[in-house]
Amino acid sequence: MAATVAAPARAAPGAHRDPVVAGTAFVLWALLALFVVYPLAMLLGRVVYDQGQFSLTGLVAILADRHQLRAFWNSLLLATLVGLIGTVVGFLFAFTAARGRLPRWLLGVMDASVLLPLVSPPFTTAIAMIFSFGPRGLITYDLLGLKGVTVYGLTSTMFSEVITYFPIAYLTLRPILAGIDSNIEGMALSLGASRWRVFRTVTLPLSTPGLANAFLLLFAASLADFATPLILAGNQFPVLPTQAFLQITGMFDLRGGAALSFVLLVPALAVFLLQRYWVSRRFYVTVTGKGAGVAPFDSVSPAVRNALLALCALIAVSIAYFYALLLYASLVMALGANHAFTLQHYRVIFTEGMKAIRDTMIIAGFAMPLGGLYGILLGYLVTKKQFIGRRSMELVSMVNYALPGTIVGIAYLIAFNDPPIELTGTALIIVACYIFRYGPTGIRATVALLSQIDKSLEEASQGLGAGSGTTFRRITLPLILPAFFAGLGVVFIRSMTAISATIFLVSVSWTLITVKILENITELSLGPAAAFSVLVCVIVFVVIAVIGRLLRVFRAPGAPSVTSMLGG
Amino acid sequence: MTPFQRWLHRAQSLGASLLLSVLAAAPALAAETVNVYSIWPENWARPMFEEFEKATGIKVNFVRFSSGEALARVIAEKNNPRVDVLFGGPVETHAAGIAEGVFEPYKPPSFAQLPPRFRQADGQWVAIADDPLVFMTNAKFLKEYNLQPPASWNDLLAPAYKNMLQMADARTSGTAVTRIFSILEVNGRDENKAFDYMKKLRPNVQLYTKSGGGGTLPVGLGQAGGGIFFIVDALDTKAKGYDVVISFPKEGIGTAAEAIALIKGAKNPAAGKKLIDWASSPAMQNLFAKYKINFVPAHPDVQLEPSLAAVLKGAKIFPIDAEYAGANRKRIVERWIAEVLNP
Amino acid sequence: MGNETIGVRVAGVSKRYTHRVKGEIYAAREVALDVAPGEFLTLLGPSGCGKTTTLRIVAGFEMPDAGRVYFGGDDVTGKPANQRNIGFVFQNYALFPHLSIFENVAYGLRVRGADEKEIARAVGDVLTLVGLAGYEQQFSAQLSGGEQQRVALARAIVIRPRVLLFDEPLSNLDAKLRIQMRQEIRALQRRLAITTIYVTHDQEEAMAVSDRIAVMNQGSVVQEGGAQDLYHRPASDFVAKFIGRVNSIPATVTATGAAPAVAALGTTFAVRTLPAGLARGAAAQLMVRPEAVEVVAAGAAGALPATIVNSTFLGEKTEVELTCNGVGLQAIRYNAGQEAPLSEGAAVAVRLPEHALTVLPPAERSAS
Repeated sequence: MAATVAAPARAAPGAHRDPVVAGTAFVLWALLALFVVYPLAMLLGRVVYDQGQFSLTGLVAILADRHQLRAFWNSLLLATLVGLIGTVVGFLFAFTAARGRLPRWLLGVMDASVLLPLVSPPFTTAIAMIFSFGPRGLITYDLLGLKGVTVYGLTSTMFSEVITYFPIAYLTLRPILAGIDSNIEGMALSLGASRWRVFRTVTLPLSTPGLANAFLLLFAASLADFATPLILAGNQFPVLPTQAFLQITGMFDLRGGAALSFVLLVPALAVFLLQRYWVSRRFYVTVTGKGAGVAPFDSVSPAVRNALLALCALIAVSIAYFYALLLYASLVMALGANHAFTLQHYRVIFTEGMKAIRDTMIIAGFAMPLGGLYGILLGYLVTKKQFIGRRSMELVSMVNYALPGTIVGIAYLIAFNDPPIELTGTALIIVACYIFRYGPTGIRATVALLSQIDKSLEEASQGLGAGSGTTFRRITLPLILPAFFAGLGVVFIRSMTAISATIFLVSVSWTLITVKILENITELSLGPAAAFSVLVCVIVFVVIAVIGRLLRVFRAPGAPSVTSMLGG
Repeated sequence: MTPFQRWLHRAQSLGASLLLSVLAAAPALAAETVNVYSIWPENWARPMFEEFEKATGIKVNFVRFSSGEALARVIAEKNNPRVDVLFGGPVETHAAGIAEGVFEPYKPPSFAQLPPRFRQADGQWVAIADDPLVFMTNAKFLKEYNLQPPASWNDLLAPAYKNMLQMADARTSGTAVTRIFSILEVNGRDENKAFDYMKKLRPNVQLYTKSGGGGTLPVGLGQAGGGIFFIVDALDTKAKGYDVVISFPKEGIGTAAEAIALIKGAKNPAAGKKLIDWASSPAMQNLFAKYKINFVPAHPDVQLEPSLAAVLKGAKIFPIDAEYAGANRKRIVERWIAEVLNP
Repeated sequence: MGNETIGVRVAGVSKRYTHRVKGEIYAAREVALDVAPGEFLTLLGPSGCGKTTTLRIVAGFEMPDAGRVYFGGDDVTGKPANQRNIGFVFQNYALFPHLSIFENVAYGLRVRGADEKEIARAVGDVLTLVGLAGYEQQFSAQLSGGEQQRVALARAIVIRPRVLLFDEPLSNLDAKLRIQMRQEIRALQRRLAITTIYVTHDQEEAMAVSDRIAVMNQGSVVQEGGAQDLYHRPASDFVAKFIGRVNSIPATVTATGAAPAVAALGTTFAVRTLPAGLARGAAAQLMVRPEAVEVVAAGAAGALPATIVNSTFLGEKTEVELTCNGVGLQAIRYNAGQEAPLSEGAAVAVRLPEHALTVLPPAERSAS
């Protein structure tokens, strides 16, 4: 019987006994030091040293500015709302997918519709929103006859961010829900609990590591998001990452902009510590090597199941609408002006835009496996092994994720432009930025999944003579493969769609599709922008479908059951 | 070492060297090349650079940034510049760059022929084009509210425009600074009068956009009724097929020069200088018409393209005094932020 | 590596940990064991007595705070589990869910670098040995509990470990299966002659499989010996009550020395020995096993009068509760088939043979 106990943690043999652990920890620390700590230290140095003098007066002034304070609170508000709502929506989808006993094709559709927002650059949702909800919007004006609606502000930004980021919650929660031993729920049911009670007192608590992780990821993502608010927040709802960006690129105040961004670290790390402290008090064990079977009973009644399905469908349809608009925009001469059908935009992107496409694919191709591996190794190490600086490693790994991309980009630019380490103008700097900025998704997925695998499996391997490297490779890794693919998938997707950090890292030698999209939008070339976006969507879908296929082919039977890629 | 460790070690060194060789490779330098950050959109920069290559054989490697981003990059890279030339962009961007000491003074042959407002005294930048501001409004919007295209600054105060205007944000856009100094100019440099006007205009502004041309799309789509933009952006909107109208206020409106500058410490200074020579001369500026680039040429020997001339006919356009703007920019912008943007 | 059979010696092993409520407690306290080569030793005791902790220390999954562990002549105290060449069988089997049965069993061999042919042969052999020939391509999810346990067993022994360690391997099986499996385990161990340490809380199981049993309580070994020793000559109240059932009759020492005797149930009993430290007049417990209590007809010679309070017919035996002189007694009578029925309320007599009597000091006040 699977055990769910609050166990006093048994300390694993320490790193000093285990050279593989020590070696890997050292390598990871070296990488983190180089690609997380060093750039930020350089940036911090630039910020507090003004012409060689240590000075804080300028910083204090900007931090005390009424306008910036408002931006700070706005950021927190937005992030909390997006975190909560996004987690709920993600959980809704994950639960429906995991417990709804959906036919395979429907699951595929659900996965596809959830994937869409994750897969496209945020600008295009924002443009579609303006087109649909503006003062002359398709929906607000033409459909509903409302006049003078303003689309800029908290609501739209929040809506757009929820749509963009809830897939992350879905990806985190799906493997958790799938991995919960259904016997436990069956047990509760047999004790006379109603389905709702089972859900409330068994399923939900067991999902807590996943929920906490999802909230954390979404909160951090929203906090750092500069692109969506740039288009949708308007002037009445300033948020900190956008303010920081404007401070640097508008007022040319690097120090002030950097200072504003460092402020964002505080809530992000606070939430991280909170979740760490809270989640680590419980010890959830549901994968025990005893072969839990498929759910033997219906965890949701048909009525509830249909209601859930309807809700998901509603959300999916809204998402589909935005992307239909996008597709339409790519196939007409000029959206809103000239609706003649044309393929010219696609011609343009495959000729003039070819360099960007090739560069982006190469970079994404490298970042993806490295990012996935990084996520798994670090997640595993900080969860299962004892070594010096374990807690801080986890903390440090989250830093680049929590900071607004602008700051990471600037920090990398400053740190790697001058000797001793010159990386600007190369692809390596972009790859590194992606790995250490988007790797944490994989780390958190690994951590959450690991908390569900029984310790005795690894002890059994050890007892049979395997070292920790072999144990990790042959036992743990296959079982946490969903987390690996989640990490890998997210890094790839972000590599294809990121903008805020990398806008500072592109160079004459390497450029990216997303930068091209932003350019096109700024130049009013909606057609090519939409065409690029559609291309990105297609590429990502294809790659992910391939990975999904591979995952199914190499699926470890008995691993937390996965029915689709990305932790599903 | 266990077999796994040995394998790992080997894989790591193989992977690392492979990775590094591909990714860290410096761009292969073929013939002579010059590296450029272009503030001009790619649609315009690319043809110009291709022509330059045809004319001189020098290849141009460029990447496009908005003016703020470009300058931020140049400043951040100043100890080890990655490019040789900063191409295009409103002069007030370049003025900020001078303060940071990122440019190398250089006077191309056409320097002497350019009027003083089209060149920086020491040669730290040189103008390659001129870009007047215009009013741009959505035709359908005008029809619906039975309005004429705005012909005066005060026309924009009309209640019909409530929450329907978009224009640039002074924190990030040179367009906005040019606009604000235009308003100052038509109010006789009376700051209080000018700010009064801007405060009255505020309720009509739906959004202050990050980039100068950011509002053109909403106006084109009809999500906004109108705005104030550089003529290049406005004409581009029209050319794309959006139903917009261009007009000028009778009190007059400002214009800002577009500049080019040599980066201090450039790795290919000779090639960079050649580009500056070419760009500041009729050689490049005669090509504006051919590629439908609606800048007004800076070089006095270049003819204005007829259709552009037609648009500008009868418009009262004045240059913004560079010295006055440079001296007061920071203070005016800060006042704008405090009193107009978010009172 | 030489595969001669070696013994295991545990010397003075202690392990402390801090409990959230109880503070610092000893999971194992000065545990000393000496397992002879090829011997089957069971650690028996209630839950929390330290048997699993001791086992895990021997395995190398935990490090002791004090003491040493020897495999033969080797001091393995500092070595982690994967360097001790052990075979460990977990309570929940811990089969690798993502590997086939073949791969599960082959795992340890692969780690040791055996070649494919050797692996195939060894795995095939051991699966046949445990009766699972033909199961190679199945996965653990498809097997029953008993089958999974046998795979776990196969996996542990195919690598020819120096020591076999079992952590309550049968507790998750049903009763009949438990009995069958324990016999199989025992037979297998005898055949392979691997030194084995087995942990269980089930005393019947312990007695069935072991050469020797070490009874543990609260972190310490309280008595060691063969099943018969422990059963018939328990050294303490705890052991007497833990193993099998026993009647504990309040008694007083009447005579010490060459002819010891105690007074109980209104009469005097001669006993074989008295525990050290009991003087004349001291209080004591007279222990006698239920099956040794003879229930005879009332008035029989040399028997004490008693009344039947309760009688339960269980097929092969009848369990009887009696009162004798105000003291409750339990008796078991095995039914050959022709005895008189024992009905409730009947007046009978009981005889307590001298050889079945053990005297122990009064019940310990156990600190829990």
